[in-house]
Amino acid sequence: MKTDDSADLRHLWSRRDFFSLAGWALLFSVAAGSFVAFLRSMFPRVLFERGMVFKAGYPDDYTVGTMSEKYKESHGVWIARTEQGFYALLAVCTHLGCVPRWVEGENKFRCPCHGSGFYGSGINFEGPAPRALERLKIYLSHEGELLVDKSEKLLYEKGEWGESILQV
Amino acid sequence: MKHRIRDLKKFIVTSQIWNSIFRHEFSDTSRNRIKQITSNIFLHLHPPKIPEYGLKLSYTWGMGGITFLLFLVTVVTGIFLMFYYRPAGEYAYADMKYLMFDVPFGAVTRNMHRWAAHGMVICVWFHMLRVFMTGSYKSPREFNWNIGVFLLVLTLLLSFTGYLLPWDQLAIWAVTVGTNMAGAIPFLGHEGPFGAELGLTSRYDARSFLLGGTLVGPAALLRFYVFHCVFLPLLAGILMIVHFWRVRKDGGISTPRFEANNVKEDPGKEAKKVERAHVFPHLVKIEMLAALAVMIVLFVWSIKIDAPLLEMADPTITPNPSKAPWYFTGLQEMLIYFDPWIAGVVLPALMVVGLMAIPYVDINPKGNGYYTFMERRFAIVTFIFGFYVLWITLIIIGVFFRGPGWNFFWPWEAWDQHKTVAHTNVNLSYAFGIRSDFFASLFGGIVVFGYYCSAVVFYVLKRNCDWMQKLGIIRYGTVSFLFLTMMALLIKIILKLAFNIKYIWVTPWFNI
Repeated sequence: MKTDDSADLRHLWSRRDFFSLAGWALLFSVAAGSFVAFLRSMFPRVLFERGMVFKAGYPDDYTVGTMSEKYKESHGVWIARTEQGFYALLAVCTHLGCVPRWVEGENKFRCPCHGSGFYGSGINFEGPAPRALERLKIYLSHEGELLVDKSEKLLYEKGEWGESILQV
Repeated sequence: MKHRIRDLKKFIVTSQIWNSIFRHEFSDTSRNRIKQITSNIFLHLHPPKIPEYGLKLSYTWGMGGITFLLFLVTVVTGIFLMFYYRPAGEYAYADMKYLMFDVPFGAVTRNMHRWAAHGMVICVWFHMLRVFMTGSYKSPREFNWNIGVFLLVLTLLLSFTGYLLPWDQLAIWAVTVGTNMAGAIPFLGHEGPFGAELGLTSRYDARSFLLGGTLVGPAALLRFYVFHCVFLPLLAGILMIVHFWRVRKDGGISTPRFEANNVKEDPGKEAKKVERAHVFPHLVKIEMLAALAVMIVLFVWSIKIDAPLLEMADPTITPNPSKAPWYFTGLQEMLIYFDPWIAGVVLPALMVVGLMAIPYVDINPKGNGYYTFMERRFAIVTFIFGFYVLWITLIIIGVFFRGPGWNFFWPWEAWDQHKTVAHTNVNLSYAFGIRSDFFASLFGGIVVFGYYCSAVVFYVLKRNCDWMQKLGIIRYGTVSFLFLTMMALLIKIILKLAFNIKYIWVTPWFNI
């Protein structure tokens, strides 16, 4: 029983107060938990998308000083061979994700969506693209085949391009 | 013969079955006119009587009602399309072709669905314009305006999710552009500012939530289908119920207030001073004629003009140019001047926030329920500028003046796929001779900070003015921030076009 004169008694909880709070707390926790569970359920554990690692032939299939478009349509990757070695470029424009084109005559990539331009190295030099094209981890398998891992991205602006060259 | 028909009619309308369904007669008395409305759940969306002002299309424009009509058209045609369309990558495009050629009236129905959807977007904008111009967002209708803003966003999202379903080149690439903007949301997108720092990847971020994966594929198609057919229509329907109910609760169609003083005192009462007309038959007649006109135009348009259907979606070929749906080309055009996280996330968010703020920052009691320019100059000029000069113009440029590579082409110019224009853009700091990264960041920060400080300076200069004191610092802060940001868009466009300035402020984490 609460009385007006006793300020001490006001901190006492009745059973009703306790269960009332417990009930609402339970309701909101269940609601919050369900919502979190819903959010998690929207990210499936298995994606039916192409595997991230693919084989790209043997080093001898590539001439030094060329940009190979062999895996551009199937995997969205360019493979370049220079004097220093191999590197793989992801064929996704860093502006908004369109697929750029390699213009052999001008030795550069151009994106059709907003006109972004990239050098053969992947560096952006014109248009709205804010970053260089992303390079991908390229390495040799035990059998000596080139393997490209699309999940391993190497970004120029993070200084990761040092690891992007595969010397053969 | 005439007697027989009259007797038959009398037999029917006095029968028990008939009277159990229809709770009104057909006599043209005031009482019966009211009964026609109150005994019909659909018609009783309306009150039994409205001020005569509410009958004038020159006042109301009828756009809200037409928007609702077009929504109903999309629902009905959409349900029909669902009998034939399967939202799976293997079937979607083939089902579209099936509908266009092998289903009787399939082409007309599909076309009606698309043109009604686009019409709904346009009518929603006209409705918003009319409500703004008659000040019908002012007290007590502020909340209903905001429900309307949510409905506007839902309309655009409904249109956007539906855009993917034909699974053609137009669909897949427009949605790629749109969802990549989700990937650029600060803190929530793996490619937005601070996204990588928070551990977001392309598998787990706001974009993959929408797509059900890392790319626009079959999972995205199914997900967008559910959004488009179930989630968004339910949400829109619920909000429409609230929206219509609030119209009634807030006093019906807004009418001119002849005494500007009693804005808050008797919101519903002023309507009684005006002559009132029966909704049945007068408003119902007008609405029926308007609906008939809209349906005729829609039918003829759908019969004559096919909705576009390009080649089947091909993730390896990006069409040049790849344009967003026309109602988003304004945003796409802004991408020339701003990074994706600003053009696609921050600015649209601020637009929505700005719209929502309008009823609460507008303390001018004038213009509530009637058209006036002289009494509301700032509000009208700002709104028209933001809506027409910026938003609509950007859309027009994006739709008609942009070609391959998003280069500029006159509408009559042939599109040159290989046109290359040399862009030598410099950052503002570079233009001012600064070469070090650190000082460039500092410079940019000072410029942006100084730009917004002009609002503070203006406040200090005007703080003793009558209107500033009535406005208060919170409202003033809100209005000045939004206004300056809107002007910043225009300023940045001018800087880019005239001086080739790319970024105002360059930092290691984001660029503005």
